[in-house]
Amino acid sequence: MADDFEITDEMKAQIGQETEPWTYEVTTTGVRMYARGIGSTDPVHYDVDFAKKQGFRSIVAPYGFLGTPVFHPDTNDGTFGFPRRAGGPRLNLPFKGLLDGGTETEYFDVICAGDVLEETSHLADIKARGNMVFLTNESVYKDKASGKVVAKQRLTSIHM
Amino acid sequence: MAEQTYFEDVSEGQELPEIKISPDKQQLVKFAAGSGDFNPLHFDENFPMLKPMGLTENIVHGRFKYAQVGRLVFGFAGYQGRVKKFGVQYRGMDKLNQPIIAKGIVTAKRQESGENLVDLDVWTENAEGKKNTPGTATVALPSRS
Amino acid sequence: MVQVYFEDINVGEEIPQLKKNCSTQQLVLWAAGSGDFYQIHYYKDFAQSTGLKGLIVHGALKNAFLGQLLHDWIGEKGELRRFGCSYRGMDEPNQDILCRGVVTKKYQDGGKNMVELDVWTEKPDGKKTSPGTAVVTLPSKA
Repeated sequence: MADDFEITDEMKAQIGQETEPWTYEVTTTGVRMYARGIGSTDPVHYDVDFAKKQGFRSIVAPYGFLGTPVFHPDTNDGTFGFPRRAGGPRLNLPFKGLLDGGTETEYFDVICAGDVLEETSHLADIKARGNMVFLTNESVYKDKASGKVVAKQRLTSIHM
Repeated sequence: MAEQTYFEDVSEGQELPEIKISPDKQQLVKFAAGSGDFNPLHFDENFPMLKPMGLTENIVHGRFKYAQVGRLVFGFAGYQGRVKKFGVQYRGMDKLNQPIIAKGIVTAKRQESGENLVDLDVWTENAEGKKNTPGTATVALPSRS
Repeated sequence: MVQVYFEDINVGEEIPQLKKNCSTQQLVLWAAGSGDFYQIHYYKDFAQSTGLKGLIVHGALKNAFLGQLLHDWIGEKGELRRFGCSYRGMDEPNQDILCRGVVTKKYQDGGKNMVELDVWTEKPDGKKTSPGTAVVTLPSKA
């Protein structure tokens, strides 16, 4: 389309470039704060003894929460917390506006406090519609100790 | 958490009990704390990016709405069920202090690799019934036997 | 960071100042870090409904800034024993908050090099908003 922002070959070449892994910690404090943040009062997210009685390892991360990326001011974004790391896409889009486009999570296990996960991601798609660019990122979360995949996410962001 | 739902008791077309929340600014600040997303778009009424994005007031985080759908499907799955997958798109914006209602409908029941799976259409809608956050989900449920 | 030693400091000496300026985002980060979600720190209408002119900075955050002031000064070999302040005046976001300290005493106690200080935060017009004191230990050069 004549009016679409131009997606260059250089940008498309970034599709599939896997980042280096990053550690995500699922802590009791983090699980409880997220549960408070979404307005849930389910004791399985707050009370460790209760959660264990229901058969879980510890309090359960509400669906949508995959832990907190280990944060360092030198490497992580101050607003969103995500790590700037080797291997990921470097697109340098000229837009200041950013909106969330969509979130999809697939679970292979229940995430609980005490889990330490390792996440890698890659750019899966880049599309333009008018003067808006849609990026899709796919990430894989593995249990750091066992290497087992516990979740996958597909995230869409809109840059305008 | 309500009583455990069993696969045999679910039927296509069945509606899930809805989840309603009207987040005020404190709720969004708590969500910022919990999620790590401190974008001022959601709590600073003087944030300079509001105007260029065509907004006059702060909006609710998309992921906050995703999490309401998460609560909905977790409630359906129960402690013995498992949410296998759930995803939404952020099609419309929701403002502060307005009701956000998470709803779901069973679209299919099937068995795959020994699991009892239930597919659903899920979404959040606003007070006017506009589906701002449409999506789908798959939940595994235990059997009565 | 250069380590400061007990022998090199004098009573009456001012320690290096720390300048802070809190954006609304900073106040929300503090709410997250401290667990204090009181709305007078980020929700203007609420703040005004309680009789305040506008948003104010959490007192405990200013206390934490003074903690940072001292932590930066004592270096890795110093120890912060005690510090506290009173929240006498209000500070607002997007305005400079200057953290300052002055050495008031030097002495030895039980083999430790003790230093006492007056510490405080002040507004751009010089008004002291959070006056307080601190007790630290510093290493010897020997």
